[in-house]
Amino acid sequence: MKKLLTGNSAISLGVMLCRAEVISAYPITPQTTIVEELSEIVADGRLKARFIRVESEHSALACVAAASAAGARVFTATSSHGLAYMHEMLHWTSGTRLPVVMVNANRAIGSPWNIWCDHSDSLSQRDTGWIQLYCQSAQEALDTVIQAFKIAEEVLLPVMVLEDGFFLSHTSDVVDVPEQKAVDSFLPPFKPRFKLSPEEPHTFNIMADPSMFINFKHDAQQAMNQAKKVIGRVDREFKTHFGRGYGYTGNVRLTDADVVLLTMGTAASTALEVVDAFRKQGKKVGLCRLRMFRPFPSEEVGRVLGKAKKVAVLDRDNSLGAGGIVAQELKAALYGAVQKPRIFEFIAGLGGRDITPQDIGEIFNYTKSHSSPNGAPIWMGIKK
Amino acid sequence: MKKKPVKKKTALKKPAVRSKKPVQPKTSLPPMSLSFDGTLATKTGTWRYLTPAYLNKLAPCNEGCPAGEDVEAAMVLSGQEDYIGAWEKITQENPLPRVCGRVCFHPCEAACNRKEYDEPTAINSLERFVGDFAFQAGKRFSPPAEKKNEKVAVVGSGPAGLSCAYHLASLGYGVTLFEALPRLGGMLRYGIPAYRLPKDVLDQEIDQILALGVEPRTNCRVGKDVKWEQLKKYDAVFVAAGAWRSLPLRVPGEESAGVMSGVTFLKKVNSGEPVDLGERVAIIGGGNTAMDAARSALRLGAKPLLIYRRTKEEMPAWEEEISEAEEEKIDFIFLTSPVNILSENGKVKEIECIRNLLGPPGKDGRREPRPIENSNFALPVDSVISAIGEAPDLSFLPPEFQKSKDTLPVDEAGATSLERVFAGGDVVAQPRTVSYAIGSGKKAAMAIDATLRGRNAAEAIRLARWGEKGSLSMARYRSGGGDGIAREVVRFTELNTAYFPRQARKPGEKLSSKERTKGFSEINRGLPPAAALFEAKRCFNCGVCNLCDNCFFFCPDLAISARPDRQGYEINYDYCKGCCICVEECPRGAISVEVKK
Repeated sequence: MKKLLTGNSAISLGVMLCRAEVISAYPITPQTTIVEELSEIVADGRLKARFIRVESEHSALACVAAASAAGARVFTATSSHGLAYMHEMLHWTSGTRLPVVMVNANRAIGSPWNIWCDHSDSLSQRDTGWIQLYCQSAQEALDTVIQAFKIAEEVLLPVMVLEDGFFLSHTSDVVDVPEQKAVDSFLPPFKPRFKLSPEEPHTFNIMADPSMFINFKHDAQQAMNQAKKVIGRVDREFKTHFGRGYGYTGNVRLTDADVVLLTMGTAASTALEVVDAFRKQGKKVGLCRLRMFRPFPSEEVGRVLGKAKKVAVLDRDNSLGAGGIVAQELKAALYGAVQKPRIFEFIAGLGGRDITPQDIGEIFNYTKSHSSPNGAPIWMGIKK
Repeated sequence: MKKKPVKKKTALKKPAVRSKKPVQPKTSLPPMSLSFDGTLATKTGTWRYLTPAYLNKLAPCNEGCPAGEDVEAAMVLSGQEDYIGAWEKITQENPLPRVCGRVCFHPCEAACNRKEYDEPTAINSLERFVGDFAFQAGKRFSPPAEKKNEKVAVVGSGPAGLSCAYHLASLGYGVTLFEALPRLGGMLRYGIPAYRLPKDVLDQEIDQILALGVEPRTNCRVGKDVKWEQLKKYDAVFVAAGAWRSLPLRVPGEESAGVMSGVTFLKKVNSGEPVDLGERVAIIGGGNTAMDAARSALRLGAKPLLIYRRTKEEMPAWEEEISEAEEEKIDFIFLTSPVNILSENGKVKEIECIRNLLGPPGKDGRREPRPIENSNFALPVDSVISAIGEAPDLSFLPPEFQKSKDTLPVDEAGATSLERVFAGGDVVAQPRTVSYAIGSGKKAAMAIDATLRGRNAAEAIRLARWGEKGSLSMARYRSGGGDGIAREVVRFTELNTAYFPRQARKPGEKLSSKERTKGFSEINRGLPPAAALFEAKRCFNCGVCNLCDNCFFFCPDLAISARPDRQGYEINYDYCKGCCICVEECPRGAISVEVKK
């Protein structure tokens, strides 16, 4: 059924349709309305689940991780400082291989105090062992939540679904909400191999000594490698069921593009319009939206970007002292490729500043007019 | 160089070193690190360097009770509505819970940790409730398990004598209780007015003690009706003759008709003898006897005027007595001393007084009154009651007793200078209260039992102490001090008050001041059952496990479980990793930390 929904509302309905059994969260803007709506959904009986109030995000994740270990399908949501506060538990959750699904509504991390969108919160957590999928629309956010449970429960890794705070979380769009029956047939109930149970007691997270620890980490890496395939397969299955698929990347007019813009999240929607406008002027530009950041689709981006001469990476984040995180990842991914484009790096939209069509136009023009990058990322909208 | 023998060469062979290759699991790993032997395989106890242990402590109320009651245990049981159990705990130590529940000055409440939080628990009212409840339920003292051959003479049947007689009878001794007056009870009967302690309540508690086989000898004054020499046939004697001799006012006219001591007045009133006070009566003094006399006079229809040489601040009477006297609109004249009592036609006509100022503090820390010259004034009165203090009358004791001026000296076991003669109550130097008297009677019973059983009395008494304030436990005495309760007193700061909502104390029910001055009806009506239970549950249960399950819920290692007897918990040290959350979360400080493996 088609509905006009905000990104957050679409996510709440997605969680409901997945029949999450335990939900725990601590409110933080711009995530709050996700769990707010979920609490109402649980309260009025549309979803049979335990909604557990906690005193912090650290506890929220500890809570759902434990519930997941007990065999429940679980969900939590957070943003920014909340995600930072979960940091330790992010490692524990992935290390315990618990299929927790979390939505992070992307928001800058202070200081200075700021509640608006950028990707620095989730990209700061790139090494915690979570799958990260960045969404562009409310529809995609809902669909990705459904996919996320299926992926997580198959590969036993937690999945973080990312949506741009406010740009996606709080703006409304037409969303096709799947039927419960269809979701049920796509997503079977969660049946873990091991679970916390008095009937079959296990100690979870017993100490792994130096002879064993690395084996667990190697196994988790194997699971991440496997996840890449599973994410692709689940996306294809989803398309069969629901008619919508997203791939690892969203590619627009790449085949003959001289300049390709690579970015994540809602900035891609703006970029799409700029690409159309440039194409009308006969300028060969293309767009690659990176949807899957973890595991990083190195081979896939190598394949889709290999033929491009220049790639402009638009990072809505910055690793102080290094540069845009997506650009770093891309450079590392393409290092061994035979054919590799020149990579131009741009930083824009931190702390919620708009990334306008003009900004993107400038990025295309700059990249087109320069034969090679000058070595340092260009910060958009900063007076020299 | 000699060739090494083959055998030795073999022995010197390098021991096999561990393979440098990392150990590879034989089968594939589970996704997460987990045990396959159940949770018991991980003995987290090996991590421990702090060790929590259940260690019941002493509640400050127990330490503060001069009668040595196990207040704490009684409160725990009352909180479970086991009032009979509570009565048994109390009467193990004190045979007069209904009396004490009415007249004790409750130092337990002054020591109560709850006073640091909101208001002390209503221990005194609960004692009364428990005593009345058990009496109405038909509970009586159990006869002694075994009879002993020895017999003990108890001189005086006030609270000290009754307590000693009870404990000795409970231990199986034959007890003869000598009383100079016609009825038993001492000051409980003849000193305390019925509006504070109804006589039927006293009779019922005394009857219970007599039912244990105690032989009463009333109207039998030692030194007169029976010679001291005759007591020598007893195996031991306990002297608890009280302090009945009123101190003289030392003013002219003191001998006139219409002037009497507070003790004499109260004795008459409490015996039902008619007393003619006239209309206006001056009561001299600021202690409890003065208050009781003034309030009794009021009930007899007189207009009492209380004259005290210092101010209200220095009055030795209990606060409750003073405030109740004020409620009853008794007139107080402070900073005033009598100097002369004038009579006319053999009847008191007026009392001449002098005004005082307060000078520097005296020996007892109270500021001393100093008369103001030429400030004399006269008050027309019909009678005068002098209640400026009492002293024991020790004249009945033979000269071989070592005596001091106003008291009979005793050692720490309550022993006098004569062998097998002990003393307690108001004849010895101790605060003159019912509960102290009861405590000293118990102490003497312990000392007599220890002496007659050939043990060191002082040592036995030391082992029976509740705390450091001298209160003694008969339960502890009987078990030789090994009842498992530590002597350490739990202080307020050791409690986790987060678990206790702030709650106002339930006041006991009282007759209105208008209603009560009509006669000698009991003023305090005690706590209704719901309020009693509320107060019992309000008790912090300091230092004593009351099975609240908090430790059980909090232990992150599930190392705490209920003891098989369900009377407490036990810690499985194979799994206790020493986080001591149980210690922190115990609301009442009943778990301690030991710094060792």
